[in-house]
Amino acid sequence: MEASAGKKYGVELPPKEAEELRKAMKTASAKLMNEYVERMRKAWPNRPKVMQYFDDVARFFDTRERELLKAKEEGKKVVGYTCMFAPIELILAAGAIPVRVACGVYDAVKLGNRIVPVEVCPVVRSTVGAGMVDLSPFIELSDALITALTCDGMTKLSEILSDKKPVWTLNPPRLKDAPQSTRFWREELKTVKTKLEKLTGTKITAKGLKSAIEIMHRATRAFKRLQEIRRSNPPVIMGRDAMLVNQTAMWDDIERWTAKTEELCMELEKRAGEKVWACPPDTPRVMLAGSPAIWPDNWKLPNIVEEATPQGVIVADEFCFGDRFLFDPVGVDEWTMEDMFNAVAERYLLPSTCPYFTSEDGNEDRVNWLIARIKERRVDGVIYHVFRGCMLYAIEYMRIKRALDKINVPVYYLDTDYTREDVGQLKTRVEAFLEMLKSRVEV
Amino acid sequence: MWLQVVSEILKLTVFAGLTLAGILAILIWKKDLKTKITYMRFLVQAASMVAFYLLFSYTTELLLILAAIFVLSIFWGRLFCGWLCPFGFYMDLTAVVRKAFKARYWNIPDKLNKALDKLRYAILAFFLCLPFMLGPIEPWQWPLVKFLVGPFKPMSVLLSPVEPLVIPWESAVKLYGINLSYPYASVIAYYSGEKFALLSITIFAFLTLASSFVVRRFWCRFCPTGATFSALNRFKPFSWIPILRLHKVEEKCTKCGICRRVCPATVTEVYDRKGGDIKTSMCMLCLRCVEMCPYEDCLRLNLAGKTVFRSRNWLEPSKIE
Repeated sequence: MEASAGKKYGVELPPKEAEELRKAMKTASAKLMNEYVERMRKAWPNRPKVMQYFDDVARFFDTRERELLKAKEEGKKVVGYTCMFAPIELILAAGAIPVRVACGVYDAVKLGNRIVPVEVCPVVRSTVGAGMVDLSPFIELSDALITALTCDGMTKLSEILSDKKPVWTLNPPRLKDAPQSTRFWREELKTVKTKLEKLTGTKITAKGLKSAIEIMHRATRAFKRLQEIRRSNPPVIMGRDAMLVNQTAMWDDIERWTAKTEELCMELEKRAGEKVWACPPDTPRVMLAGSPAIWPDNWKLPNIVEEATPQGVIVADEFCFGDRFLFDPVGVDEWTMEDMFNAVAERYLLPSTCPYFTSEDGNEDRVNWLIARIKERRVDGVIYHVFRGCMLYAIEYMRIKRALDKINVPVYYLDTDYTREDVGQLKTRVEAFLEMLKSRVEV
Repeated sequence: MWLQVVSEILKLTVFAGLTLAGILAILIWKKDLKTKITYMRFLVQAASMVAFYLLFSYTTELLLILAAIFVLSIFWGRLFCGWLCPFGFYMDLTAVVRKAFKARYWNIPDKLNKALDKLRYAILAFFLCLPFMLGPIEPWQWPLVKFLVGPFKPMSVLLSPVEPLVIPWESAVKLYGINLSYPYASVIAYYSGEKFALLSITIFAFLTLASSFVVRRFWCRFCPTGATFSALNRFKPFSWIPILRLHKVEEKCTKCGICRRVCPATVTEVYDRKGGDIKTSMCMLCLRCVEMCPYEDCLRLNLAGKTVFRSRNWLEPSKIE
């Protein structure tokens, strides 16, 4: 279906103003990225050399943007996606480059406010704002965007973005366990598959899909290996650095990322053997749950936790922009086209613990996921991070709190927005929580 | 006389030793965790086929074997069907051929599958009751009655799946001097008469093989023998007995659906159940789900409370156990 001509939402900025805003924001963002990388370096004196690579990828205005431009000149297509539901295997098999486009730039929020009311989640507002001034290189370079109609914000975001780019929507069924949901979801992905083939002109063959699945298997292995390393007590890697590695997987070339992550894991495993810890053994081990913290600007919370006194260390998070991204492998039974496709489809729907889902037992998978991670990573306390306007995570807080009370893990509810104004206040609150965790650790 | 006994025992010991060595070799050398158990299972199935051939050449009192298996099945559920049954082995081999052709199986609908599971008990009850129902009927010369009653009819029906492909005795189908058999072939041959024996056996063999090309483990959905093994485990008072249990850890499961998709018996309970022991009689403990589950220690096979197999993160190359 062709989108109708004319912009549906577009609030047009004068080109000159847009250009100025873009330049200002880009400089500010680039500066901020450098600053955050610098702060991460300072907090961890013997940071492995390999991390330099991830720092470079994280500054996405430089290297990665140029790389994507070059690939596009060579005729490659770039497909952006907002949610974890987009089938990366299919994008790779069609010969396109997958990049994640959801945005974490604070300044763009104010622009987004011109279209979207302030009550909406800041991720949406920021992405809208970035789209207005062509700020995010990933939105700009995408030939098409795959969005998932999960929460209300994401649903309408895909409408707004369709003013700029062709948007292919995926509609995940809210009840994922029912057999008809799986059937429906398969059809959804088939539609996207056809569109992908049309865009790139490459047919997705069984061979291509198999090699794409194998690429992602290798990436998942590296990813899971890193998460296993985060289990070590005391930790050998600081939480912010691990989170940065996790997030770069979303826009980096996945094979290169895999190689570098394996290299990092090797180094870290060596350190664990030599007992070179990243921080003192009694540092409280914190898990971040709830709304995602997205690089670059929304690094606020990780920064606060790991630079607070007493210092905390993030050993796990529950973000679709973090630990959950490559957590589940595609399990193929028989390497036929249909079974591979089913395996890919099920992998993106069934193990997802997005609060968008519900079932007869509520979103119980999410509770189980959290408890399993808390136990295996030996988490001392959970910080439940919620964006103002993120209904689903906010509502589920009580459920999670009750479940975690049962296993005697303290939870702290922290709601915030894309703003730098509350950093001081948040710091005081987080420090109080960490102080409490520390006293528990000592007992 | 005793020399012969010793030599037979020696033969069996060597045979068992070779099988164990094969299993050990697979455990050590097969690095791919996704197929490790499958390979092991194939080896055990082949070995059990040979073992049944040997047993058949010693004794014709096969009822004893079945009785023994039945008693053991109280403790290990349908492990026999998954790991030892020669008929199951043929069907698994058919599946291998199908995979080589890159053909896809037809997924049997869940409702039909559950209905077939109940039908198995009906078939079983029918065969067990037949002699008592038809025995008193006077006119034995009626061919239909002869067909339905027959000597040891229920036993031979129940025993048939354990017949290996090559049998030591004179059979209906003979190829280059080798006595070939097929599950239920002897039963069909005995009652079909000279002319049609071969034809009806061929049709039966073709039907079961062809359908297991389309549906995984086709015959297992009807098999009365399998029903006898799972009959006891169906009843609540006996559910505490099995020492071999498939166990699921609730927290570690992400409900990714892999176990449901890979199960050759189309069991959904492993997926549906929140956690704890899997009790369905449809499960034949082939452990394909344990092997394919990507979460460390989520699915386990417990033997008397001790974990024998556990699911592993199969992306990681395994370390030698």
